[in-house]
Amino acid sequence: MNTIAQSIGGAAVTTKLAMRMEDSLQAFAVRAACFIGELDVPYSEEFDGHDFGATHVIAYVGDEPVGTVRLRWFQSFAMPERLAVIQRFRGHHIGELLLERCRTLAAGRGCNMLYVQTLPGDVAYWEKHGWRRLVAEEAASGAKRIVAMVKAVDPSKPLPEVEAPESVVLRPEPQLDAAGVPLGIASN
Amino acid sequence: MTVQLAAGLSNHPAVTIKLASTSDEMLQCYMLRAAVYMGEQHCPYWEEFDGNDYSASHLILYVDGEPAACMRLRWFATFAKFERAVILKRYRSLGLFMPFVEWAKEFARKKGYPKAYLHSQHRLWQIMERGGFHKVDDRIFHFSDHEYGAFACDLSVDPDHIPTVFTDPMVLNRPEDQLDAPGVLEQSMERGASNPHAGWDGGRRAN
Repeated sequence: MNTIAQSIGGAAVTTKLAMRMEDSLQAFAVRAACFIGELDVPYSEEFDGHDFGATHVIAYVGDEPVGTVRLRWFQSFAMPERLAVIQRFRGHHIGELLLERCRTLAAGRGCNMLYVQTLPGDVAYWEKHGWRRLVAEEAASGAKRIVAMVKAVDPSKPLPEVEAPESVVLRPEPQLDAAGVPLGIASN
Repeated sequence: MTVQLAAGLSNHPAVTIKLASTSDEMLQCYMLRAAVYMGEQHCPYWEEFDGNDYSASHLILYVDGEPAACMRLRWFATFAKFERAVILKRYRSLGLFMPFVEWAKEFARKKGYPKAYLHSQHRLWQIMERGGFHKVDDRIFHFSDHEYGAFACDLSVDPDHIPTVFTDPMVLNRPEDQLDAPGVLEQSMERGASNPHAGWDGGRRAN
């Protein structure tokens, strides 16, 4: 296992749960920087309507918000997603720190399984950190094909044989209105 | 005061500008700034969100309903300061910047401000001059890793039409980007004045 940095340039590396408006704003800002600014994801895809039914974890270097992950809760698993670390703070295993915080959060809630959706090119990264494919066989071809991966919350307990169909997880939560995504109101 | 701009595009995307007036619209402004300043220009969070966001007006521009650009306006006694103007990378070829600045100028002018003021990154000076701004002096200053100059633009304020303390009170109550149209409080006038708290006076306290 890699050693996770405890400090960068003398500034402490810490994580915390978003508890206040300002915390959430910091989480969202980190994602906007990485996904909208860097990867050119449209606003309405990045802020997809799930942010107010999820738990947000933020990583700090000193008092600077540098990383975030969103954790969504399902009946049989917890789903980390929207993992982002500001470009100039990468290479210090801050993503691992955020995912470890997700794992301990899930453990505290009696949750057995973490579930992520990743791209084929990132599978090796997740496997290195103890994740395995939900479905063992190779996914269909195509670079954008999503691969579902899982990890036991408690490494000493094997995962239950539960499948999380991707179609369920990707669909907007039922309490969302018909529009699904919170697009800008530009007509008035 | 939402306007439809001709962006000169072959496929005619709908461009809309408004004063951010809900928490969702404010969040959209902040996220566009995070994308451009933190994501592209590597600005630290605490420099980008500098404590002035809650004493400012925020403008948001949509392209086909998608948040595409924003600007922050702060109000000084004699001028409006335009700042934190960003256009998302994918919308930068649409020629949105000057129409957006013009909209902001018109917004400030209708509020009665005779001058718009801004700090422009050095690389954008020619664009600002084409937009009617002139350098206020020769100083060049820098913050957040960029060199800036101060620019101003005179706005043609009609003294007979600027809001004053003698303007119709219900006009002053209107949403600030729609000063020409009746606002929600004018609709409330239909309910009359029942003065539900008339029994309260200076000698009586809630506790």
